[in-house]
Amino acid sequence: MSRFRRYEDVSVGDLIPPEPLSFEIDSQVCGAFLAATGNDADLYGVCDGDRAPSMIASVYLIDLLKARCSPPGGIHAKQAIRFHRTVRTGECLSLQGRITDKYVRKERPYVVADFEARSADGELVSSGRITSIWGKDQ
Amino acid sequence: MTVATGAGARSSDAEKFDLAAPLPVMSRQVTQSVIDAYAAASGDRNPIHVDPEFAAAGPFGRTIAHGLMTLAYVSEMLNRWTGGAFDENGEIDIAFVAPVFAGDQVDVTGELEEICDREGRRVARIRLVCKAGDRQILAGHAYQPTNAENK
Repeated sequence: MSRFRRYEDVSVGDLIPPEPLSFEIDSQVCGAFLAATGNDADLYGVCDGDRAPSMIASVYLIDLLKARCSPPGGIHAKQAIRFHRTVRTGECLSLQGRITDKYVRKERPYVVADFEARSADGELVSSGRITSIWGKDQ
Repeated sequence: MTVATGAGARSSDAEKFDLAAPLPVMSRQVTQSVIDAYAAASGDRNPIHVDPEFAAAGPFGRTIAHGLMTLAYVSEMLNRWTGGAFDENGEIDIAFVAPVFAGDQVDVTGELEEICDREGRRVARIRLVCKAGDRQILAGHAYQPTNAENK
């Protein structure tokens, strides 16, 4: 049995994952992200409490997408994201998504999920919507 | 363009930005090494990005860059324009309309279309202009609360 989820098994209303994920905004992860994207802005620091780039979201969203157990080869089609406040290194976020739609267009299987990231005290940090083309079932 | 605040600045320290200033143009040269470095940093090792053999059998015939990597460039451009305010309360809503390949130069900027109301906020609506050579790679908008909205 494949460890990947089949498209037909994805349902609107599914929580991803069933229990929220935890993501620490680690300074090394931030440093690697900034280096990989060539971002040398002096907005950010590497010590706990320093401001982290909001688009570190693109790292924690991958954790969320992995939790779907989709097959390899999927494509990120659309992305909406709104930031509600800055984030800081050392913070721990709680992440969860929910499947809100699935449809086939031009023979491509799409999955839409809304997500939220919250701080330890429940404050909303970011929210948005990810639209993906599901990878070929294994 | 407003000068960015220093490392560790409180979020409320983001300086007011000049809505009338043109958005900066940012360029990045994308290579397979850049894609691989992003894959390692983000944890997204989808073979369509990093495995040429796997990607050769896929819809694009070769590896493509991560869409979220392009979005990171957009985010950096918007933060440079707003002096960091984008990190605080900015918003992006886009579609990835064409792939970015190794060897592409990606150019990212935006054009202020209007000041409008959106979900109870007064925002600058910015049409994002993102190209790899002549190809449009991303379509959509960013929404940045105006200074009066920035807490």
